[in-house]
Amino acid sequence: MKYKSIIQPFLVGIVFCSMFVFSCEKDLPTQAKYTDYLFSSIDENGGNWKPVLLDSSSQIVIPVPADITSSDYLDELASLKSEASNLSGEQQGAIDYWTNNPILRWNEIALELVAKYNLIPGPNEDGTYTLPNPANPDGPPSFPFSHPPYAVRALAYLGVAQFDGLITAWHYKYTYNRPSPSQTDMTIPAAYVDNGIPSYPSDGAVIAASSRDILSAMFPLEKDYLAERAAEQMSSLKWSGLNVDSDIEAGEIIGKEIAKIALARASSDGMSKAQCPKPVSDSIKAAAFDRFGWQWDNIEVPPRPVGLTPLFSKVKMWCVPNVEVVRPPVPPAPGSAEYEEDIKLLKHYADNMKDEWRAIANFWQDGLGTYTPPGHWNRFCKEYSIKYKLNPLRTARVFAYLNMAMMDGGISCWDAKYYYHYPRPINQIEGFKTIAGTPNFPSYTSGHSVFSAAGAEVMTYMFPEEGSLFRDYALEAAISRVYGGIHWSFDATVGTTQGINVANYTLDVAKSDGAD
Amino acid sequence: MKNRNTIFTFFISFFFCLGINISHAQTPSDAIMMNQRESCLAVIYEHSWFDEYWEGTYLRTNGTIETVKRDMVMPMIAIGVFDQLNLLVAAPYVKTESTEPNGGYFAGAKGFQDLSLALKGQIINKQLNIGTLSLLATVGFSTPMTNYLSDYRPYSIGFGANEFSFRGIAQYKMEKGFYVRGALAYLHRGQTEAERDYYYNNGSYYTAWMDVPSAWNYNAVAGVWLLNNSLKLEANYLGIKSTSGDDVRPYNAAQPTNKVSFDQVGISAQYYLNKPQGIGALAYFSHTINGRNTGKASMFGVGLTYQLKI
Repeated sequence: MKYKSIIQPFLVGIVFCSMFVFSCEKDLPTQAKYTDYLFSSIDENGGNWKPVLLDSSSQIVIPVPADITSSDYLDELASLKSEASNLSGEQQGAIDYWTNNPILRWNEIALELVAKYNLIPGPNEDGTYTLPNPANPDGPPSFPFSHPPYAVRALAYLGVAQFDGLITAWHYKYTYNRPSPSQTDMTIPAAYVDNGIPSYPSDGAVIAASSRDILSAMFPLEKDYLAERAAEQMSSLKWSGLNVDSDIEAGEIIGKEIAKIALARASSDGMSKAQCPKPVSDSIKAAAFDRFGWQWDNIEVPPRPVGLTPLFSKVKMWCVPNVEVVRPPVPPAPGSAEYEEDIKLLKHYADNMKDEWRAIANFWQDGLGTYTPPGHWNRFCKEYSIKYKLNPLRTARVFAYLNMAMMDGGISCWDAKYYYHYPRPINQIEGFKTIAGTPNFPSYTSGHSVFSAAGAEVMTYMFPEEGSLFRDYALEAAISRVYGGIHWSFDATVGTTQGINVANYTLDVAKSDGAD
Repeated sequence: MKNRNTIFTFFISFFFCLGINISHAQTPSDAIMMNQRESCLAVIYEHSWFDEYWEGTYLRTNGTIETVKRDMVMPMIAIGVFDQLNLLVAAPYVKTESTEPNGGYFAGAKGFQDLSLALKGQIINKQLNIGTLSLLATVGFSTPMTNYLSDYRPYSIGFGANEFSFRGIAQYKMEKGFYVRGALAYLHRGQTEAERDYYYNNGSYYTAWMDVPSAWNYNAVAGVWLLNNSLKLEANYLGIKSTSGDDVRPYNAAQPTNKVSFDQVGISAQYYLNKPQGIGALAYFSHTINGRNTGKASMFGVGLTYQLKI
């Protein structure tokens, strides 16, 4: 009797709930959604562009390709045909995933590894800290700790190797002009839209080999994983009907060779000494105190004995002649009117935190465990390369200059950080609390501001229609750190100028590389 | 490095709401129903804290967040819609912060958390040997009342997602006042929106939305009524087990996607005044004995209840 009155609302409730449950869940994308596309240009003269590391686009030598009427080539074509005509679902999936611009996928892989390894080592039981050690990458802590300087450097070498490798590929492509398999044999189905770019050597193989080798050096524990990814990508070149074996082999020669050259630079660029020992760190701090009368100190519990990469400033720059030419002016001294104004401003933000400020602070935080601020700009680069349908060579160019500018920006920023050794707001303001984590390095200037301004300038040059958007992003990223409570406003504004100054050097090089 | 799970808040919220008529206790997981047109109002204050947390299954400390404290004030109401169908509503206010001095100097968080609604129906209530067997079922829904940030562990005040709960309850109560009760619930949790649009969850996610893992909830209670049915004492166990999710990474902040599990044991006492009629008081203490991706929290709560006819 009464049960009826219970059961009905129950059923209604369950139906109502189920409707909610099954209608509100959002799709959670793990990668960019794009397919193969027609490139907005094919850059036949790309082989004449000026590479970054190579003397010329013919420095790396590959064999002269067999003629398309030769039996060797015809055998290759037959092998390709049999493989491409019998695809499993998995193979088709690989074709769809890698597309005809696999640089974008490799950048995603790089960002994923950055996020995976962007973990700061915690203290040991006895209060000491152990640093990641490339000689014992398993750790603990595992190597690397891909903090922003580490990440931007990895991305710069990746971009530069891909770029120089593709300039080389373009040189030979338009030297030998070997048509693509589907053009030499009409019965071969091409999985991707035909851009009419000659197939020897395979640009896809250059990308696979160079990306694999650079990233394996930067993330040694991922060597096997990266080898698998590269093998799949190279196979997909055949499955898609894009390249025969000799195209791929020649591309791989270039990719391996340019990676070797890039990694030789990396091994002697000074990064291995950036995380200096405590006595050196202490002397840097003491020098700043002598010079300016202030110093930054780590306030974690237990305190970290050395800040993050005090000697990143000594790492070899890409386009800036020396780090001093872009060093910003002395920050306002504690006690000065400008400094007191900033104290008020920071307290104002903290005491009146608005949803909008909090959202900006969080959106641009890109902190531990994420792809870092340089990674955020690489993501934009990927998205706009897709939007503007760049070919792989153009895509590599944007990534290369973007990451060189941001790496130089990072070097310059770290120079300012440890030259001035300026304290963080939390060191100076009694009882101050932040909504963002205070990083383990001095305040002035803000890394986010320098990275973002440098990145925005390069992106604006490469995608002029989007310039105001990128520059607004950079300003928002800069102020986000002030909203977060971990930077002074002059860290952000001066850092923005610093980033622009650095990028101007990068753009001077870009403007004369022959691409525009 | 994360807060005690909010579902526990939801769960405990109704745990002690009783009127003078002792046959009419009220919680989503207990066995007692209010009669039609009876209502129970309650306010509970709870304080919890932890200075150790599980990073995956590794129990650790973190000097930079030190001890994380959480205070909650929860007004709630239970209404007898029918004799065998009750509606329960709660709206907790939560405040979190680290003790001073905390090396990280993070700001805490505060605000109204999730509005929760539950319907509880009695399916069976019959005499069996020397006692009474009751079977009940509850469906519940909770949703964030404010745009608090769930992606701010360990200070976020909740997990920031809708939750549907489906719970079955069985109790056997002896005439002498002893009783045992078990409840099993499935907590279906939706997604929460972060303020960043990239995060790592065993791989890259290019979205601000995060899946909050659903969970099983286990509850076991043994209790007794004393002093002429005016004092109730209970020992209880609460378990939460997420069905999916990732582990907190080494020395990294927790996030809403984490696989949270824990076991808590506790005791509680409730006392009902003879005069004025309708007033009750309660106190409880619980301790987390085992967990994964959650703080090793202890908590105590005190509350007042008032039952009235409507």
